[in-house]
Amino acid sequence: MSVEALAPPRVAAMRLRAVLRALGWVGLAVTGVAVALSDFLAQQPAGRQGAGPVLVPPSPQFVFGTDLLGRDVLSETLHGLDVTVENALIATGIAILAGGLLGYAAARLPAVPRAVLRWIAGVLSAVPTLLLALLIIAMVSREFAALAAGLAAAPLAFVRAFDRARADEMSTHAEYARATGISPATLFRRDLIYEFRNNFLETAARALAAVAITLSTASFLGFASVPPHRDLGLMIAASRASYLTAWWTAAFPALALLLLILFARLAAGLDEGERP
Amino acid sequence: MSETAKLVELNEVSIARTARAEPVLDRFSLSIAEGETVVLLGERSSGKDSVLRLIERTLARENEVTGTIVYRGQPEKAVRSGKRPLRVAHLPSPSARPLSPDAKVSSQLVRVIARNLSVPRASARAEFKAALGRLAGAPPFETFENKPGEIDTVSLAWALLATAMAQTPELVLADHATGDLGPTPARALTRALTAEQKRLGFALLYAANQINVAGWLDGRIVVMRAGRVVEEGSYERLASPSAAHSYTMTMFRTVAKLSGEKPLRTIARGEALLRVQGLDLTAKAAKDERRAMREGITFELRRGAALALVGEEGSGRRALARAVLGLDRPPVGRVVLDAVDLSVLSETMIARLRRRMTFITGADDALDPRMTLWDTVDEPLRAHLKLSRDMVAGHRESALKRVGLASYHGSTPVSALPAFDKRRLQVARAMVSAPLLAVIDEPLRGLDAFAQALLRELLTDFRAQEGPAFLVITSDFSVAQALADEAMVLKDRHVIERGPIHEILRAPKEAATRALIDAVAPPAPTPLPKAEAEG
Repeated sequence: MSVEALAPPRVAAMRLRAVLRALGWVGLAVTGVAVALSDFLAQQPAGRQGAGPVLVPPSPQFVFGTDLLGRDVLSETLHGLDVTVENALIATGIAILAGGLLGYAAARLPAVPRAVLRWIAGVLSAVPTLLLALLIIAMVSREFAALAAGLAAAPLAFVRAFDRARADEMSTHAEYARATGISPATLFRRDLIYEFRNNFLETAARALAAVAITLSTASFLGFASVPPHRDLGLMIAASRASYLTAWWTAAFPALALLLLILFARLAAGLDEGERP
Repeated sequence: MSETAKLVELNEVSIARTARAEPVLDRFSLSIAEGETVVLLGERSSGKDSVLRLIERTLARENEVTGTIVYRGQPEKAVRSGKRPLRVAHLPSPSARPLSPDAKVSSQLVRVIARNLSVPRASARAEFKAALGRLAGAPPFETFENKPGEIDTVSLAWALLATAMAQTPELVLADHATGDLGPTPARALTRALTAEQKRLGFALLYAANQINVAGWLDGRIVVMRAGRVVEEGSYERLASPSAAHSYTMTMFRTVAKLSGEKPLRTIARGEALLRVQGLDLTAKAAKDERRAMREGITFELRRGAALALVGEEGSGRRALARAVLGLDRPPVGRVVLDAVDLSVLSETMIARLRRRMTFITGADDALDPRMTLWDTVDEPLRAHLKLSRDMVAGHRESALKRVGLASYHGSTPVSALPAFDKRRLQVARAMVSAPLLAVIDEPLRGLDAFAQALLRELLTDFRAQEGPAFLVITSDFSVAQALADEAMVLKDRHVIERGPIHEILRAPKEAATRALIDAVAPPAPTPLPKAEAEG
């Protein structure tokens, strides 16, 4: 007789999650290679008009077709991906530094400044990231869209890091460490190292997905990317006039953006993908 | 037993796991008659948990099972679906966190009763209330209108017991149901369980790693080791040196016994290391500070001496220990460590002073699960002494050898260690920091008999070699006697009795002290039947 299990297949779910995460990182790595080699892979320089006849559908000569101005959509998509990823990486770095790191440090402040900072970050994180980004762009310039997206995402990163740091500080093992004479500074350093080691990549991937959405939406609305350095959001916006008759002009840049965000969210473990 | 109908029979059952070379259960046979009590007694990984899961049908999919299971004379066929052949109630340990932290205890347990009895929630709620009412010593129903994190472990244990009883089971599977509780609540719960068993007539299969519980239950004890039955019999037979298997004898010898004899070791009479003066744990802020100090707790601990704070949960022993460690500042009273008053120090200065103290606790989440084995031992050396890498490695290796953890790879994360090894790691960490004072909080909680004996020896050796003063917090007088010379008994945040432990054991003055001693006393011996004693 063989008795089979009745327990939920938790192991299988964990394995699936690990496989999806690995898939996300592989996808991001491939995207990184495509970005690094974009100038080599693209047959035309960025913004080159009249590379071919206008609105040619996908064909062996123009794999992704051409747009209203006769630009090669494949080359434009590769250049657009390059601009999007570059800006998103800058914004991710800012979100992590200005949000995550500060949030982690703020959790160790004395009670009053700690509560005030948490409250301010909480209020700011309740405002949609896109609106905050547009507000900052309006205050500075479209040139600094990446900075604006990073700062707009920072409150969410702050809140998340702050809450995690507080949980660490209130944990039994932190109290045990304090009881054995470990100073608050050593404890902070220890928590920060483990936070970086265990969560940095996941946090970065999650932030990358969030700021890529913010930047592309801002560009789509005309508030971020500046021609001739078109990012994927601006490319999709530019194809509005031709999309109904020539689907390829918007579909391929949109697909590239979708894959970038999907890979980043998979790499982050699909956990609250919107939150940096 | 043969006269009574068999409820469950396991015949030659083996369980193998793909990830494990040795079988979890190896040709294991067991029969449980109606109304019978069977205690599975063994160390960790002895296979007793798998027996419960097998009967309960919650074994994980990775287990390959061979052998036969018979419920009421019917061989089991469909084990993955259909109705359970018996009304089985599960009685888990409250320390295993069996409930969701986000919902009220009562609503979760009522849902369990309603599902298992197939009755509406209102009826299940009434059953739960009635079951609670029948258990002498159980808290009122209102206590459980809170989330699990808001009630204490003992109350949760009562709620789990009431839930099992409300299901009017034919068989109760108890999984270390009182294992991690103090002796007094453990004994009260065991008594209540036995009384309910007499009333309802259910069979009880109890997995235990503590010998005292096995004795209190007064049933057939099956000693297990590495998935096999070592031997079985009554408590009296197994506890008798002439009748037991050598493994069982060793196991029973590990039980610490209370003794009223004066110990050979002498009580330290050196300079005072710790002075606690007028500590009032009852009020957050006292109106009359002088009076509060007069009535507060006052004691002195000399260098190398050992004092046990004995009391139940909530008696104030932990608050006192926190005040001594400088984690909380008491509103009234003073704690003076090594001639320095903690109340006048800043947080940073207290942290520095704590370098002369260490803390060993029975909480399994005390060590940072993210740290490695080596990092955990190295941390106090690096943080306090700024030693060279070679010296750190030397101290670490020596400490790990002494506690028996040297065979582990240094990069093993703490999260991968079993509970006993985590405790030993705490002792290693304490050893390298060469403290003047060690605060030890329920160090043996939740461990099996062998692990308890080893840890007791380790701590005794630690004190003998390094010579720190011990402040032991426990509800178990056997732990107090093993690790300390003198004791202070606390109740309702006041000291009710103090003195050398052997004197307290010989002639306790207070009823609460007597109750604490009785809770750890071995089960009353009953004479063995002649045939059993000879066999």
